[in-house]
Amino acid sequence: MSTAPEMDISLEQVRRSFGATRALRGVSLAVGRGEVYGLVGPDGAGKTTAIRLMAGLLRPDEGRVRMLGEDPAHPRTRVREGLGLVPQRNTLYGDLSVDENLHFFARLFGLSREDFTARRERLLDITRLGRFTGRRADALSGGMYKKLALACALLHRPRVLLLDEPTNGVDPVSRRELWELLYTLVHEGMTLVVSTPYMDEAARCHRVGLLYAGELIAEGGPRELARQHGVAASNFEAVFLALVERHTGGRAA
Amino acid sequence: MDSTYAKRTVGRILAMAGKEVLHIRRDVRTLYLALAMPVLLLVLFGFGISFDVDHLDLAVVDQDRTALSRELVRQVTASEEFVLAWEGTSPEEAIRELRRGHAVAVMVLPHGFSEDVARGAGQVQLLMDGADGNTATQALAKAQALVDVAGRRFAGATLPAPPLEVRVRTLFNPNGRSALFLVPGLAAYLLAIVAVLITALTVAREWERGSMEQLFATPVGRLEIVVGKLLPYLGIGLLQVLLVLTVGAWLFDVPVRGSLVALGLGALLFLVGMLGQGLLISVITRNQVVATQVATMSSMLPSMLLSGFIFPIENLPPPLRVISLLIPARHFVTTLRGVLLRGNGLDVLWPQLVALTLFAALMLTLATRRFQRRLD
Repeated sequence: MSTAPEMDISLEQVRRSFGATRALRGVSLAVGRGEVYGLVGPDGAGKTTAIRLMAGLLRPDEGRVRMLGEDPAHPRTRVREGLGLVPQRNTLYGDLSVDENLHFFARLFGLSREDFTARRERLLDITRLGRFTGRRADALSGGMYKKLALACALLHRPRVLLLDEPTNGVDPVSRRELWELLYTLVHEGMTLVVSTPYMDEAARCHRVGLLYAGELIAEGGPRELARQHGVAASNFEAVFLALVERHTGGRAA
Repeated sequence: MDSTYAKRTVGRILAMAGKEVLHIRRDVRTLYLALAMPVLLLVLFGFGISFDVDHLDLAVVDQDRTALSRELVRQVTASEEFVLAWEGTSPEEAIRELRRGHAVAVMVLPHGFSEDVARGAGQVQLLMDGADGNTATQALAKAQALVDVAGRRFAGATLPAPPLEVRVRTLFNPNGRSALFLVPGLAAYLLAIVAVLITALTVAREWERGSMEQLFATPVGRLEIVVGKLLPYLGIGLLQVLLVLTVGAWLFDVPVRGSLVALGLGALLFLVGMLGQGLLISVITRNQVVATQVATMSSMLPSMLLSGFIFPIENLPPPLRVISLLIPARHFVTTLRGVLLRGNGLDVLWPQLVALTLFAALMLTLATRRFQRRLD
C-alpha cells in the first residue's frame, strides 16, 4: 500500500450496493497527505460512489471509511470544514452569478468578510474568472463552470479536495489549465483525489487506483504500473486494458 | 452552545435564506404563485361562490283565483327571495316545470283558499326541488316565513298573539352574507395550498438539480438548511395573509373585530405548519412533479372538506369530525372567523393556537428527521 507517513483518507474493505447493482466490492485504499491520487476507470466502475463515500455523502454497506481521522458520514463530523468537493454534475446554482455562488459558499463555510475578499481575489485570479463575476453560472462554458465549482470548493482552504471527473466535457485547453491549477494546490500542501475516465490523466497523478466493475484491480505509481507492463507511462490506456484483461481472464477485452 | 457556534449557525441560516431570496427574485413565477394567485383566487371565489339563496324561480298554481290568493302571490314574490317564473292552475304542469329546472319551488293555492282563510283554516302547499338539498331547505324556510307573515296580515287583529314568540337576531353576520362567512375560510384554504406547494417545489428542485450534493459537502446542518429555506417563504406567506385580508376588507367588507395578536400568531403558526408539510413532502419525494401532486392533494382536499370552510364541522360524520382535528386549516379557519367576525382574542382562541403549534412542531420535526444529510 502507500508509503506516505500520514493518511488523510482510507477505505477498508468497503462494499456498497444500490439495489441489485454492486457499485463497490470490497475496495481498500489509502491516500497520504499531499498526494494526488487518481481513481481511474471506465464509466460505471464505482468512481463516483467511492468519492461520495469519502465525502460522507453515502454510508458503506460494509467496511470502514476514514477522512482526516473521522467517519465522514457521521452526523456530527467536523470533516467538512477541511474538505472540498467538486461533484461530477453541475451542482452550483445556475441562476446565481459567479460572485453570488462564491459569496454563498463562503458564508456556509463561515469565512469572514476580509477573508472572503482575499480568497475571492486569489481564486478569481488563478481560475481566470475575474472577467465573469457578474455572469450567471448556467451561462458559463463547461470549462469555466468547472473552474467556478473548483473555486467554490477551495474558498475555505480545505486540506483534502475531492474531484469527481473534473475534466469531463471540458475542452483540451481548459483541461490543461485545470490540471495546472490542481498542481498549484498540491504545492500548497493539499491532498487531492481525482476520478477520471481519461487514461492519459492517470500519468499526472502521484498514484492511481484502477477501478473496474467495483473492484480495485491495481494500485501504484503510473510509471511503476507502466514499467510492469512494458509500456510508456504516457500510454496508460494500454496498462489499463492489460490489467482488465488479466483481471477478467480476457472476457472483457 | 458556544457563541462562535451559534454565530456560525445563524450565519449559515441567513446564507441559505439569502440565496433563496435571490432565487425568488429571479423567478417571477414563484412570486406570482405566492402573491398574485391567492388574491386572484380570492376575488374569483369571493364573487363566484355564494350560498345566499335569493331570486329563486317560483311556480304558482292558483286554483282559487281570488283577490286574496293573488295578494298572497304578490306578497311572496314582492320579496327578492322569489321570482314568479310560471303561473297556472294545474299542479301537474307546475311539477313538470320543476322537473325541467325552470322552477325550484311550487306554491299551490287550492280551490276555496279565501274561504278557508276567512275561517282561520287556510292552507298553502309548498313543493320543493329536493335535488339541491341546501337550496331546498333554505327556500322552504324563506317561503314558510313569507306565507306566515302574509297570513298574519290577512288575519289582521282578529287573531290573538301567540303565547310564545321567538325573536331571532343573527350576530356577527346579521345579513347572513356568504362573503363574510367564506372569505376567512377561503384565505386559509388558499394559503394552505400555496404554502405547501411552494415549499415542496423549492426543496425538490434542490434535489433534482443536484445542488443538495454540493450543500451536503459543506458544514451546513440539516436544520440550518430547513430553517434557512423556510424563512423567505414564511415572510412571503405573512405578506399573503396581509394581502388576502386587505382585499377581503376592501372588496367584501370583511371586518377585523378581534385581537390582531391572535390573528398574527395564528397566521404564523399555520404558515410554519404548512411550510413544514411542504418540506416533508419534498424530502420524501425528491421530485418536483410528484411533490406538486402530493402537495396539492394533501393541502387542497383536507382544507376544503374538513376545515369548516364550506361544510360545517358539526355536520361531518363523527370519525371525520375527529380526523378534522388533525387538519391545521380547521384551526386556522376557526381562528380567522373568531378574530375577524366574532371579535375573539387569545382567551378564546388559545386551543386553536395550541393545535397549530403542535402541528407545526410535528411537521418540522418529521421533516428534519427524515431529511438525511446523505444522498442514500
